[in-house]
Amino acid sequence: MSFEPAVAAFCCNWCGYSAADQAGAAKLEYPAGVRIVRLQCTGMVDPYFVLRAFERGYDGVLVVGCHFGSCHYKSGNHQAREQLDRVAPMLQALGIGQQRLLMTAASAAEGPVFAAKATEFVELVKRLGPSPLREVAR
Amino acid sequence: MTAPRKVGVFLCHCGGNISDVVDVRAVREFAERQEEVVLATDTRFMCSNEGVCRLQDEIRKRSLDGVVVACCTPKMYEDLFRGKAAEAGMNPYLLEIANVREQCAYPHRHEPEKATEKAKGLVLAQVEKVRKLRPLETKTAAVAPGVAVIGAGITGIHASLLLAELGHKVTLIEKSPTIGGNMARLVKTFPTDDCAMCTLSPKMNEAYNHENIELLTYAEVTSAKRTPGRFTLTVTEKPRFVTDACVGCNKCTEKCPVSTAKAPTQVPSEWEMGLAKRKAVYLPFPSALPQLWTIDADHCFYFQRGGKCRICAMVCPAKAIDFTMAAKERQVEVGAVIVATGFQEYDPAPLKHLGFGRHPNVVTQMQVARMLDSMGPTHGAVARRSDGKPATSVVMVQCVGSRGTPGDPLTHEYCSRVCCMVAVKHASLIRKAQPDTEVYILYNDLRAYGKGFEEYYTRSMTLGVKFVRGLPGSVRREGERLLVDVEDMLTGRRLEIPADLVVLSAAMEPPPVDGLLAALHLDKSPDGFVKEYHAKINPTETAIKGVYVAGCAQGPKDITDSISQAGAAAMSAAVFLGKGEMTLNPIVAEVDPALCRACDRCAEVCEFEGVRVDPERLLAVVDETACEGCGKCAVVCPTGAITVRQFRKEQVLASLDAMAPMAVMP
Repeated sequence: MSFEPAVAAFCCNWCGYSAADQAGAAKLEYPAGVRIVRLQCTGMVDPYFVLRAFERGYDGVLVVGCHFGSCHYKSGNHQAREQLDRVAPMLQALGIGQQRLLMTAASAAEGPVFAAKATEFVELVKRLGPSPLREVAR
Repeated sequence: MTAPRKVGVFLCHCGGNISDVVDVRAVREFAERQEEVVLATDTRFMCSNEGVCRLQDEIRKRSLDGVVVACCTPKMYEDLFRGKAAEAGMNPYLLEIANVREQCAYPHRHEPEKATEKAKGLVLAQVEKVRKLRPLETKTAAVAPGVAVIGAGITGIHASLLLAELGHKVTLIEKSPTIGGNMARLVKTFPTDDCAMCTLSPKMNEAYNHENIELLTYAEVTSAKRTPGRFTLTVTEKPRFVTDACVGCNKCTEKCPVSTAKAPTQVPSEWEMGLAKRKAVYLPFPSALPQLWTIDADHCFYFQRGGKCRICAMVCPAKAIDFTMAAKERQVEVGAVIVATGFQEYDPAPLKHLGFGRHPNVVTQMQVARMLDSMGPTHGAVARRSDGKPATSVVMVQCVGSRGTPGDPLTHEYCSRVCCMVAVKHASLIRKAQPDTEVYILYNDLRAYGKGFEEYYTRSMTLGVKFVRGLPGSVRREGERLLVDVEDMLTGRRLEIPADLVVLSAAMEPPPVDGLLAALHLDKSPDGFVKEYHAKINPTETAIKGVYVAGCAQGPKDITDSISQAGAAAMSAAVFLGKGEMTLNPIVAEVDPALCRACDRCAEVCEFEGVRVDPERLLAVVDETACEGCGKCAVVCPTGAITVRQFRKEQVLASLDAMAPMAVMP
């Protein structure tokens, strides 16, 4: 069976999560390996959440928030960006690779953007192959 | 360890939307096997009366202290199910939604097996989260009676009147000496050519005389304090130096030496958009309300020359001049606030090629509105400012300061919406009053979008208004006249149109109200206007509960739309006030005093003043009425002392782990 990546998608309640809802409501398709965790804001994304996801065998981590300038809480997505910029080198050092972590934006109106970005990211992770930690996790 | 939880799982078929894709029975059997799940059941429609009754029955029968409803997005029915759970005696915050429709059945409908496996993961994620949830207490706060309306233009007046009629006490606060706002300057209004003052004046009078409206003119909100359900506004009333004894005889203005021919001080009249001068003691316009004269201390010789001039005091028959008057501060306590601060006209001077500010015969539409007023500075004649000769050729230029290139610091990117019709109106009025005057409108796109606008526009063409598609490259002086250089985009010809008067349709832009917005914690949208809660479905609410926005404060709009929005804002405020109490969102940050070491990191990242360190107790303290629950603080806290309820680390990780590849085995 071909490799189907598992991706943890941390979505903010206002944009990312709503975009995913909109994608669904519009019957847009994206790979089933995308698992959404609903947060109030991407500003809630703790570097530890990312590390924990890989620890539990996810092959990629996607963070979907509001576009810069339209964060519901003003600057939560900026903080997320900073936190993820800190965690990316760690992933590199751990041999997981920082490409497996992606932060992106999709407004509540951008269902197609969510579906496209999620699909694109899963394709990327597919090319990268299973996370090196996945076997360890099992 | 505490007693085991009793979690119920309710799976919805959504009439086939879910069950045609997901094998609901397999998911139910999977859910039944999970730890602490005491019930898993499925229903055709969970949101139906039958589904909701089932939910309530099971909560009562089995004393559930955790519920997962697997159905559509929580944005649809989370509130409904939580409310129903609360009625059945369960803490509503122990209920979570597994979004198996939008996140599973819909996007994966061509892969039913994968969808079923994913649905199991989604359900388990919420079961695991619910097992970690703690009941939350909802607090309510009483909402203070009364509403403050800031800005007494047509929007503020209309909103105030509606609320006052409903019996609410309204404090209407206006920063200039009179109510009426920009509409009072307009002479006529499109698309009916009604006299602006004839429609506005009765409303001004009604507001002025209404027993439920207290009017504070020449007053500004200087600070605001928010506690649950109550806003305390500090309003500074500027001194008029004229007491209520004023009888309106105008003797002071007649004798005031400021702006007389010989006087060194010439004060442009704000009301006349600088086309006329005013005295230092003045009434902004004849039907201003209140009919109280005002001394402008910045230009009055008494204040500027150490008390030497007292002419107005000497001629006043009512002894109403009082130079000792001082600014007064007062506190206004209300439950709701409507921001109706309107707009100001864009200053086109930075657009050098149009010559505004260099050539006196380049004016704005607002100035032409004043010229068209028979009581105005030119007594209704549209004339050259340079020599007062009637204009025989008028060229109007659209989109001045509007629809600029994104990122251009000199212009606005947005469309000001009203300028097309303002130009059509003024052009038509000029053609009617001065049939020998040629009027050109140089436009980019002509937007006649409102009721009756297209007909109005068509009628202007029959009146002989000439439309040229293209915006001018330059406006230069040629002898007594101006020459407007423009390429007609429809014919490709370059035209040089001689003009006595060039009229710029300048953008509507936000007035300088940053201080007020900061005091009320309101945001601006990228265009600089007050940011509404949701541009589509909550255009009059703001992110601050109890604060509403209406009229041009929210974005450029015409009088019709301003009135409509004023009504909507008044209704929203009335509903909010009418309930008498508000529920406080319990999903906010919480501090564990045992872990907090008062480092202040949480307060540094907070955008809402939702948390601060109490220097005496050396402890971060959350203001539950200000905290929005975004969780930035939880990430930067070095000890993990601060977390957002319902999004504690263990709660988020429980759902992350439950959906992980190692947790959901095929």
